[in-house]
Amino acid sequence: MNWLGQLISRRRMEADLSEEIRQHLEEKVEALLAEGMSRDDAERTARRDFGNVVLLEERGREVWSWPTMESLWADFRFALRQFRKSPGFTVTAVLILALGIGVNSAIFSLVHRVLLQPLPFPHPERLYAVWARSDAQGNSHIAASGPDFLDYSDQNRAFSHIAEFIPSFTFTWTGEGEPKLVNCTAVSEGFFSMLGIHPYLGRLYESREYTYLENDTILISYRFWKNQLGSDPHVVGRVIHFEGDTQTIVGVVPPMPDLFPETDVWPKLTVRPSWGFMKWRSNKFLTVIGRVKPDVTAQIAEEDLTGILHRAPGEPPDVRVRLVPLKDDVVGSVHTQLQVIMAAVALVLLVACVNVAALLLARSVKRSAEMALRVSLGAARRRLMQQLIVEGLVLTAVACSFGVLAGWFSLRFVRYLPAWQLPRMEGIHLDTAALLASAAVAIATTLFFAWVPSLTFSNLDLTSALRTGRMGTGRFHRRFFSWLVMAEIACAVVLSVGAGLLLHSLWRVQHVDPGFQPESMLTVYLRTNYYTPEGRSFWRDVLDGVSALPGVRSAALADCTPGKGAATATLVFDDRANDPNHAPPAQGCWASKDFFRTSGTPLIQGRLFTDNDDANAPPVVIVNAETAHRYWPGENPIGKRIGVNYTGPGRTGNSTPRLREVVGVVAGIKHGALDSPTEPAIYMPYLQDETNHDMATMSLFVRSTADPRTLASSVRARIHTVRPDQPVEDLRTMQDLMGQSLAPRRYSLLLLGSFAVLAVLLAALGIYGVVSYTTLQRTREFGVRVALGASRYSLMSDVIRKGLVLTIAGAAVGAGGAMLATRTLSRLLFQVSPLDAVSFTSAAFLLAFTSIGACLPAAWRASHVDPVRALRNE
Amino acid sequence: MPVTSDKKNEQRDLFRGALEMMILQSLRRQPMHGYALVQHIRQRSNDLLQVEEGSLYPALQRLLKEELVKAEWEMSATNRRVRTYKITPRGVKHLEHEVSSFERMLAGINLVLSSAKA
Repeated sequence: MNWLGQLISRRRMEADLSEEIRQHLEEKVEALLAEGMSRDDAERTARRDFGNVVLLEERGREVWSWPTMESLWADFRFALRQFRKSPGFTVTAVLILALGIGVNSAIFSLVHRVLLQPLPFPHPERLYAVWARSDAQGNSHIAASGPDFLDYSDQNRAFSHIAEFIPSFTFTWTGEGEPKLVNCTAVSEGFFSMLGIHPYLGRLYESREYTYLENDTILISYRFWKNQLGSDPHVVGRVIHFEGDTQTIVGVVPPMPDLFPETDVWPKLTVRPSWGFMKWRSNKFLTVIGRVKPDVTAQIAEEDLTGILHRAPGEPPDVRVRLVPLKDDVVGSVHTQLQVIMAAVALVLLVACVNVAALLLARSVKRSAEMALRVSLGAARRRLMQQLIVEGLVLTAVACSFGVLAGWFSLRFVRYLPAWQLPRMEGIHLDTAALLASAAVAIATTLFFAWVPSLTFSNLDLTSALRTGRMGTGRFHRRFFSWLVMAEIACAVVLSVGAGLLLHSLWRVQHVDPGFQPESMLTVYLRTNYYTPEGRSFWRDVLDGVSALPGVRSAALADCTPGKGAATATLVFDDRANDPNHAPPAQGCWASKDFFRTSGTPLIQGRLFTDNDDANAPPVVIVNAETAHRYWPGENPIGKRIGVNYTGPGRTGNSTPRLREVVGVVAGIKHGALDSPTEPAIYMPYLQDETNHDMATMSLFVRSTADPRTLASSVRARIHTVRPDQPVEDLRTMQDLMGQSLAPRRYSLLLLGSFAVLAVLLAALGIYGVVSYTTLQRTREFGVRVALGASRYSLMSDVIRKGLVLTIAGAAVGAGGAMLATRTLSRLLFQVSPLDAVSFTSAAFLLAFTSIGACLPAAWRASHVDPVRALRNE
Repeated sequence: MPVTSDKKNEQRDLFRGALEMMILQSLRRQPMHGYALVQHIRQRSNDLLQVEEGSLYPALQRLLKEELVKAEWEMSATNRRVRTYKITPRGVKHLEHEVSSFERMLAGINLVLSSAKA
């Protein structure tokens, strides 16, 4: 029978069924009357023996219909009506779920993109970054020098490809408007083929182009082509000027968001022949990556390269090669940060689910009268369950759609947090799998707790439920509620403790003495490309010109930047034996006369640089207190003589250094992050650099008398009067620069903190719900107590005590959990123990006050129960 | 629900097929209307099976739908308009199949029970 025919015949079948049931009852009544029963009794008996007419008719009809489809549709409409009737519940539940789903999927998308997604190259699992480690030098990220790479490349047996590159340096781009600095990544032959990269336009470099130095072809990035060259379709063959040289663009490299999102230009790194600085064995500044052969393990490849490195002259025996999977190398230190945030956001989803569960249970209690009525009218348990589940589904469907929106917004928010530079952020999008996973958790919770109340239907005490409007299952619900709320509080405590620890750490970091005064200080990075003494006049003119500007207290030059970085150096002493294999390391810096005056770094001993410390004067050096303390403990460092092997990029490090006299000791400047220890550092007059490499790039520092930002334009103008085509980008205050180094901390805290706030709010909502509910259940008891003369105060404190007991129990569980959980945080902490008492107690107090606040409305209601009405209701 | 020899609702599934089997068996002897069917089953079982009378009707609807029985409105001997059910050939076949599998099951249960007693 086709479905249309069935639909028509169904009406008749249903009519027949009703008719025949009516006939059945009549026949039965007649039979009973014949036995001598009264008509009333006969009718009652007939109905009783027959059973529930409505229910049986429905069951009969179901045989013919598509019962599921039709009842589902009815349930769907009913659910919508129900939600319209209780907008408070609906909006709260939808918001909580949507937030939980949204925030979770956003963060999971982030984690997925940054930590989990493989690199978009063929066989990414075989790509490794090659580093060397030396425990004696305390360095696990030693780069390679040109000769190191040649050895690796010629002698290795484990790699199918190996390439080197200089990840980031700048070119000055001239000839088209204002001179600009462009970001360069120079790569050796084999780099592009190793990663399977094909040109977006034009061609890549040919093999022969890597074999001579003075060729004039250049590759540009997609980003540079699009942003700077206006997507010029005829870009191949276009002539461009970098560093004053004429170059011809031969191709456009496609975007590489995972490795080099910022690169503008891809110069070639020629290996044979090569530039001087590529030939110095100890000039280790090159990054090496390789692709191991398919049947070779990372361990074997490590052994292979370590063996090669050990054959190199002058290499300390403790140095070993370390292969880092390329993806991990790219992701680097944000790994822990992201894992912590991921765990935190999962807790938030848990709290959200628990909260919705509590809401659903509370609602089921409120609806017990309705349910009791329907059960007494013959509704089947299965049918009620189905309806509750449909309600749950409708709720989650709405929540999920808002969740997608919330996720999208959260992701945008996280992505555009200024200065939170996560690797691989380009091309991030809301992950479908993440969305589905979070939604699945939310849906499962909702359905489960929509379904739980229906378990109690079968043993309902209908009479009492109908009379009082409540189900006789208060105890079950109360206990269940209490567990849920305790779980919520526990999660909230874990998150609050975590946020507290990060906050405490940030506070500690911000109160570290950086060894200089970042207030009223301006800095700009200047790249001149002078490698000869002719640069001196430029720097002298800039320094003199800027110092003379109104509002400038002092100005200085240095090739290091406080709070940001310094080059590395090794020291040679004339008063002891020097082991070249274990040369003592120090941070090194070429600086102008007024550097310490400008940075505000106190002199501890001896003198600062003077005008006399020039190229012709005897070489001098100023050391920081850490250097003096480590290398001349208990001695007077002034007058000691040391040689400095400057190992920064472009230095030979080969010739025996001149001995310099220590003339002063200054306080330790933090050249790295504020949360890293102060390292030994040495400072030398920049005019005494016999290689003149410091002429190429230095930073200018200006200490102002007023707000440093007002000086920016005059400083810029002043530099341009000395040399009109000098790029002056990135002119900023030192406070800005320091803020940037704290950005990862701030953003971890911001995220974890907002999750904690969310969890505490949700927990408060949970406490409020439970306490209100139990108080409502005890209305009669309170009525009696008021009637017997109990004070309002005692009733209030009774309610609050109930809430506090829950909170304390939950907080105890949470504190236990936090003790286990915060250990994973320890890498993000600074001078704060994972069991920091301040954070734990503040979290406990926060939750205690929140819970008292959440109990107050219910407590107030309890204390204002009208005994007469409370007792009459029963 | 349909036939309860016990208060436990959980056993209803076991007996749903049983009710339908009894209906088909009764109709095989002679066509009957609903009320008569109830009386017939009750008498035949010596009142051992307490049939909730109404539960017959959903079962009959199921049998109708599967075309194991057919129904027609007729006038009864007592001059009442009744809907009389007749078993179809398909119903007979279904009944025989059900009865034989039921007997096998019963025999199996009996064997287990008797061995447990021994």
